[in-house]
Amino acid sequence: MRTTELEVRDLRVAGAAMLGAAAVLPLLPGAPGLVCPLRALTGVPCPLCGMTTSVESILQLRLGEAFAANPAGVAAVLVAVLLLVLRASALRVPSVALPLGLAGMWAFELHRFGLF
Amino acid sequence: MSEPQTTIPAYVPSGPSGPRASFGRRLVALLIDGILVAIVYGILYAIIGETASSLVLVAVWFAYFTFFEGSPSGQTIGKRALGIRVIDFRAGGPIGFARGLGRTAARILSGLLCYLGYFWMLWDGERQTWHDKLATTVVVPVAYYPVDKWPG
Repeated sequence: MRTTELEVRDLRVAGAAMLGAAAVLPLLPGAPGLVCPLRALTGVPCPLCGMTTSVESILQLRLGEAFAANPAGVAAVLVAVLLLVLRASALRVPSVALPLGLAGMWAFELHRFGLF
Repeated sequence: MSEPQTTIPAYVPSGPSGPRASFGRRLVALLIDGILVAIVYGILYAIIGETASSLVLVAVWFAYFTFFEGSPSGQTIGKRALGIRVIDFRAGGPIGFARGLGRTAARILSGLLCYLGYFWMLWDGERQTWHDKLATTVVVPVAYYPVDKWPG
């Protein structure tokens, strides 16, 4: 099976930025979320829609809301915490994992918005 | 008298075909550039109002990234602060203003799906975003690709 090597340090920084943003965003006045341009323009959600809500909900221990917004948010937090804790030096994943994951996320979001 | 030695860190190949700027550096550079453009927007908003300033903001955004990333150094102010630059993927040199403009326009596509095109570099073999791929560019550390003069 073909695999892709991921830059662990980059993933760790991205994970830390994600957790930091999810902790800080709800504290800001008006709690600004990240606008999805595709949904704003067309009404159609993208695979990553709901991720901000999902990750914020996990940090506030509202797991039900997190799964309902986008289950991938739960996985993203889990991976981010593991990368920060375990200090892995290398990470290889099957090359099909990303397209399959994105397809699954998109199907979920289209269903959530009543389009699929 | 001996010449001062410049120490270039050894590059250990581990995926991409050459040294690449890290996600963290690119993210912080973009934040700096975003803040600078936002300051310009704030000033314009106070002077000419919301509608006109929004139109000018798009023009300022395009002009800023096209000029600096298309210049011989390939560095915006944020990229200069973080020691990274945009270069041609194949030849390794400057990309020029026309491709700089194309790369800036391609940023719209990178941002279209919740900024998925920006995150793409996290798992891409050459650490390219979508706008890198469309413009055939890579972002590299200046430690390996030094800049002669800024903006050049």
